[in-house]
Amino acid sequence: MQTSLFVLSTVLKVLLFPTYHSTDFEVHRNWLAITHSLPISQWYIEKTSEWTLDYPPFFAWFEKFMSIFAAQVDPKIVQVDNLNYDTLATIYFQRTTVIISELVLFWALQRMLTVMGNRPLQKIINWSLMLNPGLLMVDNMHFQYNGFLYGILVHSLVDAKQGKLLRSGILFAALLNFKHIYLYIAPSYFAFLLRAYCFENSGNSIRARSWISAFRPLNFLALGVSVIAVFAASLGPFVAMNQLPQLAGRLFPFKRGLTHSYWAANFWALYSFADRIMIVLVSKTPLGQYFNLALDESALSATTRGLVGDTAFGVLPTVTAQHTLILTVLLQIPSLISVFRKPTFDRFIGSVVLSAFASFLAGWHVHEKAILLCTVTMSVAIANQVGASPNSGVNAGAFSTSDQKGSSALTPRDVRAFMIVSLAGYIGLWPLFFTRPETPIKVLITAIWFVVIGSGLDQCIPKQPKSNNSLLSSKSMLRYFSILERLYVFGCIPVQIYVNIVHEAVFGQDRLAFLPLMMTSVYAAVGVVYGWLLYSATYFSSNKVLDKKKTR
Amino acid sequence: MTHSSTSPTTTPEAPKLKNLALYRYATWLEENQLKRTAVWIAVAAAVLVRWTVGLGPYSGQGVPPRFGDYEAQRHWMELTIHRPIQEWYSDKSKWWDLDYPPLTAYVSWICGFVGAKINPDWFAWETSRGYESADAKLYMRSTVLVFELLIYISSIVVFTQRWFAHKPWTRQHTALLLILLQPGVILIDSGHFQYNTVMLGLVVWAVNFFLSDQDVLGSVAFCLALGFKQMALYFSPAVFAYLLGKSFRQGFFGCIWKLIKLGLAVVLTLGLLFSPWMQSKEEALQVVHRIFPVFRGLYQDKVANVWCAVNIVIKLRERFAIQDLVRFSTLATLLSFLPSLVHLIAKPTKRGLIYGLINSSLSFFLLSFQVHEKSILLPALPITLLILDEPAMGAMFNTLATFSMFPLLRQEELTTQYYILLGLWVWMTTGTFNNVSSLLKFLSAVSFHLFDLYISLVFLNSYNSIRTPLANNFFTHFPSIIS
Repeated sequence: MQTSLFVLSTVLKVLLFPTYHSTDFEVHRNWLAITHSLPISQWYIEKTSEWTLDYPPFFAWFEKFMSIFAAQVDPKIVQVDNLNYDTLATIYFQRTTVIISELVLFWALQRMLTVMGNRPLQKIINWSLMLNPGLLMVDNMHFQYNGFLYGILVHSLVDAKQGKLLRSGILFAALLNFKHIYLYIAPSYFAFLLRAYCFENSGNSIRARSWISAFRPLNFLALGVSVIAVFAASLGPFVAMNQLPQLAGRLFPFKRGLTHSYWAANFWALYSFADRIMIVLVSKTPLGQYFNLALDESALSATTRGLVGDTAFGVLPTVTAQHTLILTVLLQIPSLISVFRKPTFDRFIGSVVLSAFASFLAGWHVHEKAILLCTVTMSVAIANQVGASPNSGVNAGAFSTSDQKGSSALTPRDVRAFMIVSLAGYIGLWPLFFTRPETPIKVLITAIWFVVIGSGLDQCIPKQPKSNNSLLSSKSMLRYFSILERLYVFGCIPVQIYVNIVHEAVFGQDRLAFLPLMMTSVYAAVGVVYGWLLYSATYFSSNKVLDKKKTR
Repeated sequence: MTHSSTSPTTTPEAPKLKNLALYRYATWLEENQLKRTAVWIAVAAAVLVRWTVGLGPYSGQGVPPRFGDYEAQRHWMELTIHRPIQEWYSDKSKWWDLDYPPLTAYVSWICGFVGAKINPDWFAWETSRGYESADAKLYMRSTVLVFELLIYISSIVVFTQRWFAHKPWTRQHTALLLILLQPGVILIDSGHFQYNTVMLGLVVWAVNFFLSDQDVLGSVAFCLALGFKQMALYFSPAVFAYLLGKSFRQGFFGCIWKLIKLGLAVVLTLGLLFSPWMQSKEEALQVVHRIFPVFRGLYQDKVANVWCAVNIVIKLRERFAIQDLVRFSTLATLLSFLPSLVHLIAKPTKRGLIYGLINSSLSFFLLSFQVHEKSILLPALPITLLILDEPAMGAMFNTLATFSMFPLLRQEELTTQYYILLGLWVWMTTGTFNNVSSLLKFLSAVSFHLFDLYISLVFLNSYNSIRTPLANNFFTHFPSIIS
């Protein structure tokens, strides 16, 4: 067991107790109160607080479990009408529940270490996930329970790696009933489990004729019944009470706009940014008349003013929920086909990553926090690969390891994509903490993480005997990064200095308040999109999905 | 603690280096060729810990009318930027008199000057007394951290490089991390709010210069430390003896020349620091009166640790006049550091210097008059510097030193930070809790706290009082423990 990791992560998380907590803290306090004080029939009806219960039922039960202890600590925590109650005891209690619930992640990581091969690469990934700046910021500062939920996800992925597919599927179904954001990656699970568990899986593609003979009805039945049982346990009571539409309305509030209050680092950030640029061009220069572009005046103040609601564009066409859904599905399909052709764990985990990316990049009303879905699954994908260990000479980590059957070697491209997406995504989380005392904390945890994990992963890349010497002679952790990538990494520094310090010094707190947010979002979006392209290129080239038939 | 123990310590309690997680981490860094980045990571981690501790309350936060050390420091900034320099030590506003030496005043002036540019309200003359705001706290906390970074943390980095110059890099880095995460300094400076690290850092810089035989520079650094906080006098016997002993070994003329150089350095440095108040005798005396309240004949009824222990058996203050106690304690202090002084003059080695620093500061802490619980940071400094040479002692002493400050920290509601940093320290220095004796030690400390916590919870519920009764009873019966 990694005692040091456990001790250090706990120490840091407790030290973060007094940091700023967002309205999510009150959200979860309110849920403790609702689940503790009200009958089940009222859980999804109650609306004394504006922060109504909008997670699936398992999470509500989880809150109910915690509320038993909350009532012991201070009965006022669980009063429904005791809004915005945040005494020191309440903060300590709720922050402690987060730390304890994250032991699920720690447990999952210890399992992953054993299953994926206990090597430096896997250990680094464990450190990276347990002391992840994204999780620290979102869970231990901002306040959420993602560590616990990602723990369940990692358990499920480790089960899949071990070949315990039924358990993996059940865990994932349960996870969906804890937080429905994991629907983003459900298509990959569906494709993988259907093909790997419900059909004969000899590791080869199935010829068109033999699909029926390869079908395994018992497995199909087992999987189907278990998943339905999980959903029945979760949703059953509410179906019985005829509350399903009410529940669905809470879980999927489609009234919200395309982008969140400030833009998550995805396509729509870039799209909105392009729109802003064109508004300026059209209104300030004669270009608009030249191209005969019309300006929607009502849109001028909407997107960047931090309003949650319909997003309007000035020049570019409006995007609807249907558009985003179609785009997301289109982006997910190629990797799903790849998994369906040959359901190995390698392909599956890559497809999970790409599904997460597709949803994050093209989804409707995506939260910046959803980037964790990409980075956590990418971490698992990297842990699944074979890395060099620094002790064992030049050719270490070549494909000789017998316990790593079927796993490919870690490539510089994987590391570059992972580090750039992580850096961009976590910097995209920084605007969550607009209070000054938190600024050094968010910068330091991200910077320390980037340097330590980046260097560690860099050293885990197996050295290619034929690679050119200029790369190997350099000891920089960015030695495999291209010029543009290095520029991007170092470019974060001046951009964030402007956003965090210079802007307020020049313009004050109120004028042009959207500008720093927009700069952060767009800069981060560029990194995430680039990392996604890089990852996709690696995935599809290494899996040779496209020229599969030619090689046969 | 003998200064002749130059052999590597292999006491049964000393943890094996491989058991230390930090040592394994240093090994990993070395294997991955990360030595150059490692220092920056260590410094960043040290800053992160200090900053998060600084999110907690400071001394006297929201406690009118006098507030606490935070208000004292803030007032000195206010005072120095608004009053002419001659009046700094003679201001009669009856509000936190400036009673630290001039370098503190100069540093206060810098902080006040910059701060007043950001927000004049923080340091407005007279109207800002007891001023509290989130931004002001943020600014004050960052001044502490900036000076700590520039002086203390840099000095520790250089110290480990020089002290472990001929040892494996992994040992050097382990020591760096341990020294930077010593809990006492973090809790007092970044939590309670003081600028001790400026003084401690200057002392370490003096040691750094002595280690590379730049004795004049070392003397200047030490005088600056004295000029920042008079408490650095605790170290002066050892520094004096080391330099004297070293001079004696230079031959007759060499000795004279060296003493002249050192004397000039000391006189010039202190003279420069005190020069604004040197124009008249009254002014100079006023400064000295403020810095050493002893001369005013004012003794507070605070007795240091040995006296507190004796006090349980023999009621010293009832039996003896206060003047006798002062004389007796001074004599005892002198006697207790005298052997180490003589030894250091006879054999002025670099290792001996650090042991000498421990002996003289510990003598003052244990035996001299009017000692604050925070003064334990002074002996803790050289003891921590020897953390890998005397691991059992360093680990134990710092644990107890931090423990001794618990009443103060609890009063300031820094208990969470206290538990976490102390637990971290115990874990870092004992490696794993596999070692039964170390586990027992930690558990005995924790169980005291748990008992205390239980009592306080029970009484809190029934009496609804904020002060914890056990603490009150315990520490009124044994008052000298907490000053």
